[in-house]
Amino acid sequence: MILPLVIAAILIFALIGFYNSVVRKKNQVTNAFSAIDVMLQKRFDLIPNLVETVKAYARYESSTLEKITGLRSKAMAGTTGPAEKAALDQQIGTAVKSIIVNSENYPELKANSNFQNLQITWTESEEQTAAARRHYNSAVTDYNNGIMTFPGNVLAGILNYTPLPVLAVAEAERQAPNAKALFNN
Amino acid sequence: MNLRPALENLEPVRKKVAKSKIYGFSFLGLGVLLFLLLFFALQLDPLIAIGLAAAPVVTGFIILSIASNAAATYRNTFKREVIATALRTIDPTLQIQPAYGIEEQEFIDAQLFNKIPDRYHTEDLVTGKSDKTPFYFAEVHAEYKTETQTKNGRREHWHTILKGIVFVADFNKHFDGLTLIQPRSLAGSFGAWFSKNIYSFGEQQVVELESPDFSREFIVYSTDQVEARYLLTPAMMARICVLNNRCKETISLSFFNSKMYIAFPLANNCFEAPVFRSLLANDVLRRDLELIGFMFGIITELDLNTRIWTKQ
Repeated sequence: MILPLVIAAILIFALIGFYNSVVRKKNQVTNAFSAIDVMLQKRFDLIPNLVETVKAYARYESSTLEKITGLRSKAMAGTTGPAEKAALDQQIGTAVKSIIVNSENYPELKANSNFQNLQITWTESEEQTAAARRHYNSAVTDYNNGIMTFPGNVLAGILNYTPLPVLAVAEAERQAPNAKALFNN
Repeated sequence: MNLRPALENLEPVRKKVAKSKIYGFSFLGLGVLLFLLLFFALQLDPLIAIGLAAAPVVTGFIILSIASNAAATYRNTFKREVIATALRTIDPTLQIQPAYGIEEQEFIDAQLFNKIPDRYHTEDLVTGKSDKTPFYFAEVHAEYKTETQTKNGRREHWHTILKGIVFVADFNKHFDGLTLIQPRSLAGSFGAWFSKNIYSFGEQQVVELESPDFSREFIVYSTDQVEARYLLTPAMMARICVLNNRCKETISLSFFNSKMYIAFPLANNCFEAPVFRSLLANDVLRRDLELIGFMFGIITELDLNTRIWTKQ
């Protein structure tokens, strides 16, 4: 009589354990995504200042500046998912990098201390965002492993949990997120 | 800078210390031999044998005690003059302070190891600056104690936490939390699995990183998952692996209070003056010079002089 009760108790505890673990993993993904959001927000907050500073010295870059402003508004609209946001951030990153590279043509802009600080802060935010993305991918992998392997897959079926895609990491980021080369241009 | 004059100046002192030690040990040996001869061969009363053998033994002890004072002065002079000059040959900013080290509280705060030391000794603090990065390192011997109950009462056992060098450098990025990189062991792997899947004690979480080479050697704990990845970029992980591969035993690292701490377990004591080997031998400083060069090279190896972030 005792043995079946013990087995039933163990099974119930195991079930609770697996359930909690799957839910915890799902919550980690949500947390990791909000960490990306926080980092992106910090990054996007730099843009108005950057645009203002560049505008004063480099009139010829107006189309790039408009593009950046447009992309920022799109990214901050609040309806974008993780993948779209990452794609927009990548486009913004490329546009800002082109301004940093082109600053060579505008000596006054290059010498401006505000611009120099913005470059440094931008590089930092780039690595922080990359770190947040890596954390998100790690949380997603953990979650996907949890719901695709037994017995998590049974629970996932009941809870209607589906695997999530990881964010693509840019090739340059994967190698070495080091803006030194960019600064030497 | 030539080390030869400093070594030549010190060589007569070394010879004197070595000679005193040899005399001291000879008298001790003579006393023991005398006792054995008197007691076993001549079968004298043990008290008489001890009494007669005591004279050379006491003389031996007196000579050794005088020699040990001279040896301490010799060791200090060696560090102050020879090692200090050797350091300057590698970089003019390098300085040694033999009586100082890494404070015990700093060692505990850095949390390089899980155990808190019960006995702590540190010496030979070397400070310097490589380009923009200030750093320091020192010898550390940290131990913890366990006690067992025996028939004759409690017995203490001392276990080494670290015998080697702790290297500290100003890190090139801002961070607020604590990130620990510890060698992967069976117990550590189980602990990491437990804290990830069952229950996590304390504020630190296991950080799973993408680099298989890095993860094979180390387990990472941090108070902040994103910050840990900000510090441990793929490039930094690769550099730590290269550094680790150059060491015999796996290193431990921690990021704390804006600094990077690295513990290198070492079998030998460093910067010690040889007593029974000539100071003028060609390779007398080879090991010490290699060590200093290795420590100095860490800044470049880990690229800590790249200051492109807000911390300049």
